Amino acid sequence: MNVVAKPELKSLDDTIRETIYRACLLLDDEKFMEWLALCAPDFSYRITTYSPEIRRPMTWYEQDVAGLKGMIEMLPKHNTDHGRLTRHVTVYAVDSDPARGEAKATSSFACYRTMLDGINSHIDSGETQLFLIGKYYDRFRIDEHGPHFIERNVFLDTRRLDKGSHYPI
Amino acid sequence: MTMLIERMSYDNGEAIPYVDSRIYSDRGIFEEEVEKIWKKVWLVAVHESELPEPLDFRTMTLAREPIVIVRGSDSKLRAFLNVCPHRGNLILRQPSGSLTVGEPSGNANHMTCMFHAWQFDCFGRCVDIPRAKAGYQDRLRKEDIALKQLPCEVAHGGFVWVSLNTKVGPLSEYIGPAFDIMREELDTEPLTIFHYHKAIIPSNYKLWHDTNSEFYHDYMHYFNRATSMQQKGYFERQYTAFPNGHCTVGSMEVKYDAYQGAQDRVLSFPGMPRNGWKMVDLFPGATYNIRGSSLRVDTMTPLGPDRVMIEFRGLGLKRDTPDEQAQRVRDHNTIWGPFGRNLHEDLLGITGQGVGMQPGSTPRRILHGRRENNTIHDEIGMRHFYKEWERRIGRSPNDPFPETQTAAE
Repeated sequence: MNVVAKPELKSLDDTIRETIYRACLLLDDEKFMEWLALCAPDFSYRITTYSPEIRRPMTWYEQDVAGLKGMIEMLPKHNTDHGRLTRHVTVYAVDSDPARGEAKATSSFACYRTMLDGINSHIDSGETQLFLIGKYYDRFRIDEHGPHFIERNVFLDTRRLDKGSHYPI
Repeated sequence: MTMLIERMSYDNGEAIPYVDSRIYSDRGIFEEEVEKIWKKVWLVAVHESELPEPLDFRTMTLAREPIVIVRGSDSKLRAFLNVCPHRGNLILRQPSGSLTVGEPSGNANHMTCMFHAWQFDCFGRCVDIPRAKAGYQDRLRKEDIALKQLPCEVAHGGFVWVSLNTKVGPLSEYIGPAFDIMREELDTEPLTIFHYHKAIIPSNYKLWHDTNSEFYHDYMHYFNRATSMQQKGYFERQYTAFPNGHCTVGSMEVKYDAYQGAQDRVLSFPGMPRNGWKMVDLFPGATYNIRGSSLRVDTMTPLGPDRVMIEFRGLGLKRDTPDEQAQRVRDHNTIWGPFGRNLHEDLLGITGQGVGMQPGSTPRRILHGRRENNTIHDEIGMRHFYKEWERRIGRSPNDPFPETQTAAE
């Protein structure tokens, strides 16, 4: 029994969990550049799902860091509704490999939209609706500065997104 | 309103045409549209690549009627009413699948109504009625029963077209030359689907078709302003109107790299310039839209005067390598996916119109009056649609209730 290694492993797993939760707080606050600071330069981001209608996996969004930065910088030029997205996340599993400096995690999330002007602000503002649910499949690289996201696959169970969104989930 | 508006004539070539907002919100008009339009004409249902194998099926609802499309053991696609002739139950319940998978109530290779286990083959013939002789004696035999078969054709890029009207004429008569502008792109080689999603929007279906039928709203899209409106050729794009309410929009060379992070297209379709962009708008509610590397096809299912489901499909070439298809997917999603630059804005636009013209709101005039020699900001596409609408509904779009004194203001 390795009585020394186990606390270290648990600590790393906790750090991974904390990084996922911190990422959600930054996304909820629309601090997208700070969110990207949690990601490695070779980070890749995808939103995927599976369509039982056409019986195919689908990728609905795919960007690297440069693409995400560009998308974020262009947000002010685009029309959107001004509801806020709130992510409720539970990290289900963390599998870390300290020797290789890598970890992966699976989290379940529900993303709510609190409306401001999505339909009729006089009536709907302040109402919170479930926007989508799914899982985060994350991969991390761990160095002396801690874990950094190198991959996030946002796999959606919800496939009817109605008016959609311009924001990362 | 002080501008020149002629009240009784929708589009006489001189005044500013408008429609009465009640055509977008009145329950009675909506019911007339379902009966006089949606149950009468050819409608785009699915793409053939969604049912590639014999005994594959795909279900949907057209004008409230549950439909199933089945690829037969002879590989031919057929459309049936997806309703059991016994007690009116829905037969196939999943959006898609294969009849080769047996159901708890029935055998593989059959369509089985789970309620009383009546079974039908891929040709719609009834092949089993449990305890038929005991219950019906000789008054009813399975040979006398079949699912109602509907007119079904595969055309224009491999799409499956269905009509609820068993007396409808050939699809070619309904479409006429409307697809000539896109013939080479669609029909040189097989296409395949890579994207499907749907949206339900609290708005009238015609407002989505209006959006697809006018480009003046490009002011809403920064992406289009940068890559198209500010580029050469944009204001020369031409609308062409065709019989039965269809119209097309001519191509231009889009400059994708004028938008930060976007790239000029690498892939295309046969006959299509890499950065070309052309559209076909089909009465009453479908649009084919090719931007260089991807074809987007919108189909609408009206759910009420103030509610519409829009299905969005993305397609490329069947022969694409996985890398090529991935590139088409990226190009498509940049603007047209549920997280894309343009689609979200378009859907917000008609959502706002749904608020402004909700059922019971005061009738008001909605202008359709831009005339620019049928070029891109001319609203000829909408006006052409509403002339066909008027012909089929028998009501004037700008004076739909002449029997009442209330007029749009």
